[in-house]
Amino acid sequence: MDRLKKTALLTALAENLRKKGCWCGETHLQKATYFLQALEKVPVGFDFILYKHGPFSFELRDELTAMRADGLFDLNQQWPYGPTLIPTPKSKLLRQQCSKTLQKYKRQLNFVSDQLGKQNVSELEKLATALYIRIEASSKTETQRAKYLHSLKPHVSLDDSLEAVKTVDGIVKLAKSASA
Amino acid sequence: MVTGCAQSKGVATLPLVLDIICLLPMLYIIHKAMPENAAPKKVSKYHHELRDPVHIFVHFDSDERKVVNSRPLQRLRYIHQLALSYLIYPGATHRRFEHCLGVMELAGRVFDVVTSQENVTDRIRESLPQIKEPNELHYWRRVLRMAALCHDVGHLPFSHAAERELLPSGWNHERLTQEIIYSQEMQEIWMRLTPPLRTDDIVKVALGPAKAKSLKFSVWETILSEIIVGDAFGVDRIDYLLRDSHHTGVAYGKFDHHRLIDTLRILPSPDTDEPALGVEEGGLQSAEALLWARYLIYMQVYLHPVRRIYDIHLRDFLKAWLDKGRFLTNIEAHLRMTDNEVTSGLLAAARRKGSAGHDPACRIVKRGHFRKLYERNPLDVQENSEAASVIFEAAEREFGSANLRFNQYPAKGGGHDFPVLQSDNRIARSGSASTVLLNVPPITTEFIFVTPEKRDKAVAWLESNRESIIKRRGRKNG
Repeated sequence: MDRLKKTALLTALAENLRKKGCWCGETHLQKATYFLQALEKVPVGFDFILYKHGPFSFELRDELTAMRADGLFDLNQQWPYGPTLIPTPKSKLLRQQCSKTLQKYKRQLNFVSDQLGKQNVSELEKLATALYIRIEASSKTETQRAKYLHSLKPHVSLDDSLEAVKTVDGIVKLAKSASA
Repeated sequence: MVTGCAQSKGVATLPLVLDIICLLPMLYIIHKAMPENAAPKKVSKYHHELRDPVHIFVHFDSDERKVVNSRPLQRLRYIHQLALSYLIYPGATHRRFEHCLGVMELAGRVFDVVTSQENVTDRIRESLPQIKEPNELHYWRRVLRMAALCHDVGHLPFSHAAERELLPSGWNHERLTQEIIYSQEMQEIWMRLTPPLRTDDIVKVALGPAKAKSLKFSVWETILSEIIVGDAFGVDRIDYLLRDSHHTGVAYGKFDHHRLIDTLRILPSPDTDEPALGVEEGGLQSAEALLWARYLIYMQVYLHPVRRIYDIHLRDFLKAWLDKGRFLTNIEAHLRMTDNEVTSGLLAAARRKGSAGHDPACRIVKRGHFRKLYERNPLDVQENSEAASVIFEAAEREFGSANLRFNQYPAKGGGHDFPVLQSDNRIARSGSASTVLLNVPPITTEFIFVTPEKRDKAVAWLESNRESIIKRRGRKNG
């Protein structure tokens, strides 16, 4: 996917998340883009590794900064949460330019925004990490995956890890039935 | 009588005193012969120090000196920290070698501050048990300082200049750094230490998760790598800002790093509790100053247009001068190639007409570099994000690609988001605690350069066509 389409998708994702009530900081966009790519197979082409608050892409971080420099996102303060990324009026033109691409991935954008739009950063960390583990260790049982999550993120309790693993299994099922 | 008695005693003891006086030389010889009293032999020191213009002293021990004396580190004495910037800022002749020593010095200082027991809360001790174990702390402090020393050993001649085009696909200086840390020569050093160091640990901490993607990082390892390569407070960044500022004479890179280092802490992230490197409220202004210093020195020094065009001429020269236009990636070849070899080739090529890379060599040596025709600016970007690219394409059509060069430094990084320990012991996000951090602009530039011979014509052409070229956009992309 070329840069123009990719940036149009990212601003559309931010718009969708904000409509769901999300304050849309960088972590929200990181985790939502991870779901878009890893679960919904939208080919945005970022390389995610386990890092701060779960799966994280340094390339995506660079892209979001470049988009700010290009005037596609504004960074505003959202007390008490932290900086929020707001798509600019200029980004609307970009979305018009890439309307075919956005139409093609409309369902996926909506699905991810529906699932994650209301989650806070702490929940997003657990869910995104649980999805990462599910993909990396697909043959493992729920309990094994929960233990693994807890070992990777010791600040997430074992109970919370298990709950996140179960929630993600549910989201994966929903995604499969929605795309069928 | 008391007096008489005393006198007689004095007379009686006189021969004994004389005997003792006679024996003194003998006693002295016996005393000196005893091993514990022998004059100290010249034994080798275990702790060493070097003078440094930025940190005054850099301290290291004999084990670290083995790494300092190794071929990969010694090679950095011949790699300029700022490539050809000395052609613009004559003082900028400093090398990667002293930068690596500075990074090691600062890494040790930060480690000592953030692991000091009075600076760590119980919550963090629970999450990071290494902090409670003296042996673990000793091991990781050593890993951190060794990683700091080695973090730049993979740099090509003239540091960053065009490494992507001069290395085979999939290679960059970080991968070369990794290969060197894993090399037999360095493994022998790691293995002989007590306790031996795990090479993976050094690689992880030296490169961080962004560059060592094949390795899995624990939270503790992530924090240690942030001490070196972190976007917010990495000591790599702290040292190069201070050092480059010192040597270029550009004061913008300076900030109160002493205060910053003293206030660094490992803190739970406000949203998730995940431990991360943060700062006490009292150090927030020095963190702001660091990030502004970075912005300013990038705009003044690293992205200076003449430095950028020299990078391009150097790349053009190397492509013509190197065998098959690429640097070799085997370690022996890498260690043999420094700025000295390249400079020697550059001067020779500039002298001899018809030699490989003669034209770009002359442009550097005789200062006949291309001149700036266009620079990215907010007005044009507001109209069209791709303004520089579309102008370049139009200029190429008008003047031919041989007469033009395009240079882009895309905005990247982040790092303004870190936990802040407030005076009431609450943890805030830096983005909430500081409006200054939010307003540090992304660093980016784009330049179009043209040959000196075509410059005037090109400037006139651009003046007449700029607006129409920039507005020529909006085709549907799909």
